[in-house]
Amino acid sequence: MSAMRRTYHVTQEMIDRYGVINGDRDIIHYDAEYARQRGFDAPLAHGLMVQGYANDVAMDLYGPEWCRRGSIKVKFVAPVFPDEDIEVAIDESGELTATGPRGVAMVGTAQLRPA
Amino acid sequence: MTRPSDVKPREGEVRGTRWEEYVVGDHLPEMRFTLTPDVIREYEEAIDCTHERHEADGRHVAVPSVLCVYLMAVLYRKYPPAQGGIMAANDFDFHAPIRADVDTDIVADGRIEEKFEKRGRKYVRYSVQFRRVHDGELIATAVNTSTFPAVEEQPPQWREQREEVA
Repeated sequence: MSAMRRTYHVTQEMIDRYGVINGDRDIIHYDAEYARQRGFDAPLAHGLMVQGYANDVAMDLYGPEWCRRGSIKVKFVAPVFPDEDIEVAIDESGELTATGPRGVAMVGTAQLRPA
Repeated sequence: MTRPSDVKPREGEVRGTRWEEYVVGDHLPEMRFTLTPDVIREYEEAIDCTHERHEADGRHVAVPSVLCVYLMAVLYRKYPPAQGGIMAANDFDFHAPIRADVDTDIVADGRIEEKFEKRGRKYVRYSVQFRRVHDGELIATAVNTSTFPAVEEQPPQWREQREEVA
């Protein structure tokens, strides 16, 4: 099996756009002052948006079998903020990481289940 | 078309659920929605992807994680969301492709699996399964773990609203 990695530049506009399709109004993604009150430097990117990046990479890596046997398990270990580059990588064994300028933000696996 | 905002209670609309109110083992009732090419396209734009490059059996298919935008709605319809929730972990298993060029009617339901405290934070874990309506075929299953802030961590305007409607 091969590996794949891709870098995404996250902006507040992208977070806002994901919030529209996601249908939420959770101000931790939009309100910088509230985010700071909660101990974060800036509004947080949606976890499922970052996981969405990983799904897209996995779909390219595994092809259409990803739709039938794909299994993705992630933990969000650090926030992703606007104006950060996030590199999503899936290695040969299916280990998944998303790494930003402050370190690893998401870890897990993206693998095919046995046929 | 069913946009997620059509079926998902939004933060601040009603009093958010307190962690103590989640009942382990509780069934999260069926939620039906129609996934359309428009929603798929909008989702894929939001994750910087174009569905034209994904095919299965000669047809365009969606990145299956498009179901993510309906995931929290299954929980929130039974347990309305508090402001400031943060996702801790999420698992998805995909079982069948979703065509990107036609409407697909989907039914989802779930269960509260667990709740626990760790390092001063309160977590809820729940599971969801997504099935195609017309033949009942399983499309995907998910397990999500999220943490919701205590009342004192809510911004003042939301805190006041909670007190008014409690």
